[in-house]
Amino acid sequence: MKKFYLASAAALAISATGALADGHVEHIFPVGEGAFNWDSYTAYADAFDLTGQELTITGPWTGADAELVNAVIDYFESATGASVQYSGSDNFEQDIVIATQAGSAPNIAVFPQPGLMTDLAARGALTPLAPETADWIRANYAAGDSWVSLGTAAGADGEEGLFGFFYKVDLKSLVWYSPEAFEEAGYDVPETMEELLALNDQIVADGETPWCIGLGSGGATGWPATDWVEDLMLRTQSPDVYDAWVSNEMPFNSPEVINAIETFGTFARNGDYVNGGVEAVAATDFRESPLGLFTFPAECYMHRQASFIPTFFPEDADSDFFYFPAFESEDLGSPVLGAGTLFGITQDSDAAQAFMAFLQTEISHEIWMAQSGFLTPHTGVNSELFASDTLRQMNDILLGATTFRFDASDLMPSEIGQGIFWSGMVDYVGGEDAASVAGRIQDRWAEIQ
Amino acid sequence: MPPILQGIITIIIGVGGCVGYFYAANLFLDKVLFPARGPNAGRNINRANIVRPWVFLFPAVFALGLYLVYPVIGSFIRSMYDRSGDEFVGAGNYIRLFNNPDFRQAFLNNILWALVVPAVTTFMGLLIAQLTDRLKWGNIAKSIIFMPMAISFVGASLIWKFVYAQDPDLGIINAIRTSFGGEALDPLQIPFWNNFLLMVILIWIQTGFAMVILSAALRGVPEETIEAAIIDGANSFQVFFKIKVPQIIGTIVVVWTTITILVLKVFDIVYTMTGGNYGTEILPSFMMDFMFRDDGQATAVAFVIMLVVLPVMIWNIVQARKEMR
Repeated sequence: MKKFYLASAAALAISATGALADGHVEHIFPVGEGAFNWDSYTAYADAFDLTGQELTITGPWTGADAELVNAVIDYFESATGASVQYSGSDNFEQDIVIATQAGSAPNIAVFPQPGLMTDLAARGALTPLAPETADWIRANYAAGDSWVSLGTAAGADGEEGLFGFFYKVDLKSLVWYSPEAFEEAGYDVPETMEELLALNDQIVADGETPWCIGLGSGGATGWPATDWVEDLMLRTQSPDVYDAWVSNEMPFNSPEVINAIETFGTFARNGDYVNGGVEAVAATDFRESPLGLFTFPAECYMHRQASFIPTFFPEDADSDFFYFPAFESEDLGSPVLGAGTLFGITQDSDAAQAFMAFLQTEISHEIWMAQSGFLTPHTGVNSELFASDTLRQMNDILLGATTFRFDASDLMPSEIGQGIFWSGMVDYVGGEDAASVAGRIQDRWAEIQ
Repeated sequence: MPPILQGIITIIIGVGGCVGYFYAANLFLDKVLFPARGPNAGRNINRANIVRPWVFLFPAVFALGLYLVYPVIGSFIRSMYDRSGDEFVGAGNYIRLFNNPDFRQAFLNNILWALVVPAVTTFMGLLIAQLTDRLKWGNIAKSIIFMPMAISFVGASLIWKFVYAQDPDLGIINAIRTSFGGEALDPLQIPFWNNFLLMVILIWIQTGFAMVILSAALRGVPEETIEAAIIDGANSFQVFFKIKVPQIIGTIVVVWTTITILVLKVFDIVYTMTGGNYGTEILPSFMMDFMFRDDGQATAVAFVIMLVVLPVMIWNIVQARKEMR
C-alpha cells in the first residue's frame, strides 16, 4: 500500500512538472531564423500582453493536424504569455452544439464549414468579430470579398455581422495522378474537359481503367460525390446559377442540377470508367480509393480529390496533380472549388480577441505553410516558405482562380449538405434516377424552410 | 486536490451521507414527529411505521424521477416544438415523420430486426446449449461461441466488413462466388437482403449470451421428470420439446425480451457497416440524421423508439418477476 502511495505521489509530481513546462514553449522554427516574417511576430508580441490569461479552443483537428495547429498556437503563447488549451474532436460538429447549449463553450471554435457557424450565429452563440476585421480581410486576402461574405451571418437579433475568420483553406478542383504511369502509357495531362473526356475513352480503348472513385466514409458516405457534382456545376453553369442553387432560390431538382449529377454519372456510373466497377464506387473508402493509382500495373489513372488527399497516399508514392479542367466550349473561365475552416468566438474574452488578431499576422500562416497541408488566401505571406512545390502550385491555382466558389454542400443547411445530399448521391450511384434523387433532396429542403 | 484524495472524500461523503440520512430520518420520525410517549404512544408507533418505508424510499424515488421520469416527460414536451425549440407545433413532428418515406423504411427495418434477431439468437442459443450439454468438449465449444460477447459492436462490424468485402482476396463470400466462376459483388448493396447480413453480426455477438443463460436453465430441469418421460417411452425429441422446453419457457421469454430491447437500441452496426445507406436505415441511425440539426424531429424519433420498446420492457419485467418466485 505504501508503495502505491509513493507511486501515485511520483505520478503527481511528474504531471505537475508537465503542467509547468507548458510555460516554456518549444518553437518548431526558432524565432528570428529563416525567411519567415518575424517582424510581424515581434510587432504582435509588443502590442499584446496577456500574461496569466487562459484561452480555450476546440476544433475538428485531431492527430497530426492537432500537432500542426498547436505548433502555431505555441507562437501565440510565447508572444502574449497566455496559456492556450486546444482540444480536437472527431465529433466536433455535435460537440460544439452541445457545449454552446450547455453554457460550457470554449473561447474559440474552429468550424469546418460555414453552415454550422451560421446555425450557431443565429442561435446567438457567437460574438461578432472586431469591426475592422472585414476591412482587413478585403485588403489582405485574395478574393477578399468572397471570404468576408462567407464568414458573414445573421445573429440572434437578425443583424448581419462577420462571425467567422477563414484560416487554412482547401482546394478541391484537383485531379491526382501518377506521373510515372502517365509516362509509361504515353498520356498527356489534359488541359480542357474535352481533352479529359477524350483521354477517358483512350484509356478504355487501351484496355485500362481511367478513374478511381471512392465514396465510402463511414457515416458520411457519399460526400466525395458532392464535390464532383459541385465542380461539374461550376463547369456547366455560370457562378450565379451556382449561388442560386446553394441558397435554394433555384430548386435542387431543376434541370441545371440534374444535368450536373448526370455528368458525374457519365464518370461514376460507367463500369468501364471506374476501378472495380460501379458497385465499388459507393463501397470503397475515400482514403483507400487513390491507392489504385500507385499499384503496378495501375488499377486506374486519375483520382479527383481535394488537396488533403496526399496524406493517405503510400509513403513512397510519386504523385502529381492537375487542375480539374473546364469545358472549352462553355467559356466559363477556370472556376475553382474550395473549402476552409473558420475561427469564431464562442465565448468572448481579451485573449480570444487577441487570438483573432494573431491570425491576421503573416507569421501565423507561415508557420503552418512551412510544414504541410496548409493553403492560405493571405497575399502577404512569403510563398517561398511552402513545404513543397505541390503546395505552392496549389496555392497558385487558388490565387489565380477566375471564379472561386465555396463547397456548396458545406453552405447548405446541414440536413441537406451533410445529410440527404450525401446519401442521395449514394442512391444515385446505386442506380436511382437523378431526377428522383434531386426531387427527394428538394422535398426535404422545402420541409425545413 | 489529487484525484485519489477526491475519490476517498467522495466515498466518505457518499456513504456517510446515506447512513446519516437514514439515521437522522429515523430519529426525527421516532423522537420528534411521532414520539412513542404520552397519550397517543401506540397510535404514534403505528403511524411512524406507515411513514417509515416512504422516508427510506425517498432518495431512490427522487433520483429515478430526476434522471428517468423527468427526461421522458421533458423529451415528450420537446418533441412537440420545432427544430430549434421555439415554436409549439403539437403533433407536427410526428405527422412529418410518418409522412417521410425514409422513416417508414427505417421503422419497417427495425420491426424486421426486432422479429428476426431475438428469434434466431434464442433458437440458436437453446440448440447449442442442448447439444453441448453432454459433450466432453462441450465447454470448449461454449467458450468459443461465447467469445464474441466480449467484442464491441464496432469491432464486430469491422471483422464482418472483411467477411463481406467485395475484393475476393478479402471477402469470404466473394471468394466462394468467384471460385465457382461468379462475379464478385458487394453483398451490402443487395437491397432488402443486406438487412439480414447486418443482423447476422448481432446474432453472432448475442448467441453466446442466450446459450449461457439457457444452458443454466436446462441444467435446472429436475432429472425425475426426464427419467419419467424416458420410462414412458419418449424419444429424445419429445423429451426436449415436451418436457424440457415447457419447464424453462420463463427463462426463454426473459432471454428473448432482453435481446429484443438490445436490438431496438442497436445503432453502431448499421452506422459502421453501411451508414444507413442502401435501404438499411433503422430508427436510431435515422434519428442520428436529425440530431443537433432538427431537435424536434430527433426527439420525436427517440420517443417513437421508446414507445416501441415499452411493451417489450413491461413484458420482460413481468416475466422476470415470475421467474423470481
